[in-house]
Amino acid sequence: MKHPDGATLALHAGGDLGPIARWRTGRHLAKCGDCRDEVAAFRGVRAILPELAETPEISWNRLAAEMKANIRLGLAAGECVRTGQTPWRETPLFTRARAMVAFASVMVLLVAGMVLEHPGPGAPRYDGVVVQTTANGIQVREGGRALRLLHSGAQNVQYSVGAQGSMRARYVDPETGYVTINNVYAD
Amino acid sequence: MRLAVLGLLGAVSVLAQDVPLDPRSSISINFAKDSPVAVLNVATGESRATARGAALVLDLHMSLTLRNLSASRIHGVTLRVVAQEVTLGGKGSVAYPSLNVGPGEAFPVRIDMQLVRPTQAAAGPLVEVNLDGVLFQDLSFYGPDRLNSRRTMTAWEMEAQRDREHFKRVLAQNGADGLRHELMESLARQAERPQLDVRVARGGPAVSSAAAGAERTEQFAFLKFPDAPVEPVEGWAQLAGNEVRAPRIEVLNKSSKTIKYVELGWLVSDQKGQQYMAASLPAADPALYLPPGRTARVLQETALRFSRSGQPVSIQGMTGFVSEVEFADGKVWVPNRQNLENALLLKVLPPSNEEQRLSDLYRTKGIGALIEELKKF
Repeated sequence: MKHPDGATLALHAGGDLGPIARWRTGRHLAKCGDCRDEVAAFRGVRAILPELAETPEISWNRLAAEMKANIRLGLAAGECVRTGQTPWRETPLFTRARAMVAFASVMVLLVAGMVLEHPGPGAPRYDGVVVQTTANGIQVREGGRALRLLHSGAQNVQYSVGAQGSMRARYVDPETGYVTINNVYAD
Repeated sequence: MRLAVLGLLGAVSVLAQDVPLDPRSSISINFAKDSPVAVLNVATGESRATARGAALVLDLHMSLTLRNLSASRIHGVTLRVVAQEVTLGGKGSVAYPSLNVGPGEAFPVRIDMQLVRPTQAAAGPLVEVNLDGVLFQDLSFYGPDRLNSRRTMTAWEMEAQRDREHFKRVLAQNGADGLRHELMESLARQAERPQLDVRVARGGPAVSSAAAGAERTEQFAFLKFPDAPVEPVEGWAQLAGNEVRAPRIEVLNKSSKTIKYVELGWLVSDQKGQQYMAASLPAADPALYLPPGRTARVLQETALRFSRSGQPVSIQGMTGFVSEVEFADGKVWVPNRQNLENALLLKVLPPSNEEQRLSDLYRTKGIGALIEELKKF
């Protein structure tokens, strides 16, 4: 069984944990007598605070030092009863840094998804004027600019290439019934 | 934190931008006043501008209805499509060969295109469409011919006449069953024809990929047709892995007429010996003048990269053959059907425009419709 660390128990004793951490710690305490004792010890320390608050001419610095000492004592006691067991959690579940990392991850995921959904050419590597086939057409492209002639819906498209830098896609237009030849030229 | 959320929402709104375009202001259609075809109607489909990543994609769709205003039958039309701002000199065209449009008749054509640009659209038309040429039944021509449409459409028409005659001959000799068998074989060839994905770069980069291997000079083998007016003599290209660049072939004019244009077909073979039609190799010199008995060099400073199903195809050998010749008098030679069959080129080359049209007609409407179509010519 993993035990909550001393800080968590101390915060639980004071009712200062968040709702999820409080629920998880409470579940643990229901089954763990050692930790219940530790929480009780922390509550004992808290119990004297009102009395101290009513004491005139109180030395707050001294009180803080005593509280720290008591907490350290409680932590030491906790370490004594916890033999060879790893702490339940070193740091709280939700910290500001973790929230920022989670938010950044969600942003990256969203942007990546949208880019994949709409695969635009972005800023391709410049490699001169290029003619080539695309998913449903042919194009002449230079950097991020392109002119595409499409043959969407056509069957039996015959492609041919001109070594001078041209490309041709030939098909029978399903609507007009005419042979249609799309050409793109690099020059 | 709030700023980050606002930034994210802003990015989402920009990426999802998808706005309709007015095609009438996006596309300019300009036909000369003396044009033998007129635009009767322009129907525009759903045209949109969509932001994708850093780019803006403009989808433009239109259907034109053109009318033949001339007194002759039209057998081919080429429209020039220019998006100067987008492609910085690159251009496109849409051609309609194998037409048979009589005087006064109307015919529909479609143009579907996409422009990709990194910025928002500027004011004014994005694309200009104009007439580059019209070829008539008697092979006369009208148009500015900026794209060499006259020669191209004439060669297509020669091939169309050749293949119509072939199918008519089959019909006359073997009847409808023979024609059906011939068309079935054509459709099978079209379906089985091995095709490569080719990417062409002008003045392309030398091979830099280590995977491409060392560059070497590879010699062309040649298929020679007895009746060709031009004979290839020798040729080379630089070869490295799946990239071939700077092809050059020396040709001899063995005809009695001066030649002003030569085009060669270029086949490549892979490691298994499978042949593919790689490209056509036209003469680069627009002012070619090749008298009888003289030689000239056909060359291009381009790089071609071959792949299939996304995988590079390593090129092992190259074969060339003469595929088109234009004489100084404007007449055009193309290989005859026998040449193609003897050299087993029919299995490698794409079908002619007319063979594709006729086989599609047979596939969609049956042998009766095909026979009726052949009777029209």
